Amino acid sequence: MHPIFKSHARLGTYLLGWLPIAALFAAQAAVKHTPLLAAMIVGLVGAYIAAGLFLSSFFLCRSLPLATSRTSTLVTTWTAASLVMGTLWTVLMFTVLRQMGRAYPALTPWGEMNGPNLLVAGTTGCILYLLTVALHYLLITLEQRQEAERTEQELRVLAREAELKALRAQLNPHFLFNSLNSISALTTLDAKRAREMCVLLSDFLRKSLKLGERATVKLSEELDLVRNYLAIEQIRFGERLKIEWEVDASVEGVEIPTLLLQPLVENAIKHGIAQVMEGGTIRIAASVRGAFAEIHVENPIDADAETPQGLGLGLRQVKQRLQGRYGGRTFFEAKIREGRHEAVLTFPKDPDEVEA
Amino acid sequence: MTERTFTALIVDDEDLARAVVREHLAAHPEIQIVAECSNGFDAVKVATELKPDLMFLDIQMPKLDGFEVLELLEPQPTVIFVTAYDQHALKAFEVHAVDYLLKPFGVERFEEALQRAKIRLGSGEPMRVQATDLSSAAKSDWPLDRIVVRDGTKVTLIPLAKLDFIQAQDDYVLLKTPEKGHLKQQTLASLESRLDPKRFLRIHRSFIIQMDRLARLEQSETESWAAVLIDGTRLPVSKNGYARLKDLLGQD
Repeated sequence: MHPIFKSHARLGTYLLGWLPIAALFAAQAAVKHTPLLAAMIVGLVGAYIAAGLFLSSFFLCRSLPLATSRTSTLVTTWTAASLVMGTLWTVLMFTVLRQMGRAYPALTPWGEMNGPNLLVAGTTGCILYLLTVALHYLLITLEQRQEAERTEQELRVLAREAELKALRAQLNPHFLFNSLNSISALTTLDAKRAREMCVLLSDFLRKSLKLGERATVKLSEELDLVRNYLAIEQIRFGERLKIEWEVDASVEGVEIPTLLLQPLVENAIKHGIAQVMEGGTIRIAASVRGAFAEIHVENPIDADAETPQGLGLGLRQVKQRLQGRYGGRTFFEAKIREGRHEAVLTFPKDPDEVEA
Repeated sequence: MTERTFTALIVDDEDLARAVVREHLAAHPEIQIVAECSNGFDAVKVATELKPDLMFLDIQMPKLDGFEVLELLEPQPTVIFVTAYDQHALKAFEVHAVDYLLKPFGVERFEEALQRAKIRLGSGEPMRVQATDLSSAAKSDWPLDRIVVRDGTKVTLIPLAKLDFIQAQDDYVLLKTPEKGHLKQQTLASLESRLDPKRFLRIHRSFIIQMDRLARLEQSETESWAAVLIDGTRLPVSKNGYARLKDLLGQD
């Protein structure tokens, strides 16, 4: 469909845009001692025949994209087209004015097709036609850009959904199998605890599925999930797992990307507690520092293990997600200090707040 | 006629996981649990002392994983791996485990595994896993990042970064670190296949060096070269070794 007709606003603007040209024509006519009304009619007829007629250039524009057409093709086509359309416009305008001249004699001189008149009108027509072509090219470029932006936006939404889906699927299967194995052991050892663990596991699954549907959650909600997870691992690891919480109430309402902390805590179990014979303490701390929220996840590591080079996949993802959401206003560090692994996350507690 | 009895060792870092195996074994008086271990170091120590017939072995454990434990045992017991990870199954059978139980498992599956173990035990076949089997099995975690050695019941982990060179000595390899040399029963070829060839190079029939320890090459006689390491150790370089060195260093 023709882009001018896509909205009333566009059509209105287009028609209004021809008004100054009508005024110009009218002024030119008025100078030649034409009564004002007649001059106005001449202006309007001239301008709006052009407005209607030259809309057709869109279809030619569309078949000759500026970027991919050869310059020689463009020059010849538009020269020929402007000559044809300029002439057509001139003939049409004179014919209409002559017909109108029968009812309103003041118009009659404007319907006379003589040499000088034709030359001036024809040239004007050619120029107006080329201007309309330029306008159409502009419109086409604009539409293409909007289209590209929309596609990009759609892609971004798709990527975001894919990321969330991946996170949800990330639900560690080994955690599930090990938990089920613990339940299997408890059914005969301690039926009550077996049931307790079933409930904990169901709660955990339900919560993580639910959180996974959202892009961001309150820190308190995420911590709730983490507590749930650790309660299950507590049954599995028994005395090997100790947990220390230091969460300021002021930071609990901060919005964070969903399931940001869960992988950090899973890492603390997998590469920490599970690798150390005597186990140890996982420390989770969260606080507010000025405009930023700061979260620490700490765990013991096996002193003899070779220090891993760089960040593992889980930590890299956390870092990427932080950067994706907060850009340069975030800080992520994972380091080993005094036999403990420590991950530190710092990010704006209110990301929409304008930087001072 | 009384059934033959067997001794068994349960190795898992989780109490509850050991409890499941123990419970299943309670129905089998012919299997006597001699010990339970909660980490790889203990497992090697206890298995070396008690020489159990059968071992229920977890894979992911602190310090030593199940495969490393198995590698260090001589003679090797009949092994049933018990794990939540299915990706090690292939490797498990390559090291001749009789079965591979995925957690959680039911009584039927457990009985099946135990039955297989009894058949293997009854056949009296010696269970020596060849170094070549281990090295082919180890493809999944190539290249190696550490080597485990056992001296009596003492287990040492040698991170590859600490190695200066490795020397073949009959059926053993001598793993030389700045502090000391460790002996391990393995062939140089099978160890070589598990190392990153960009980092470790065979310079001689009997020597592999860690490349960043190499200080320079010296021509001792005509057509005969020696590698001088950073600490001053001189090692012979064979003709083939010299060609490999030139290849790796990209010299002419």
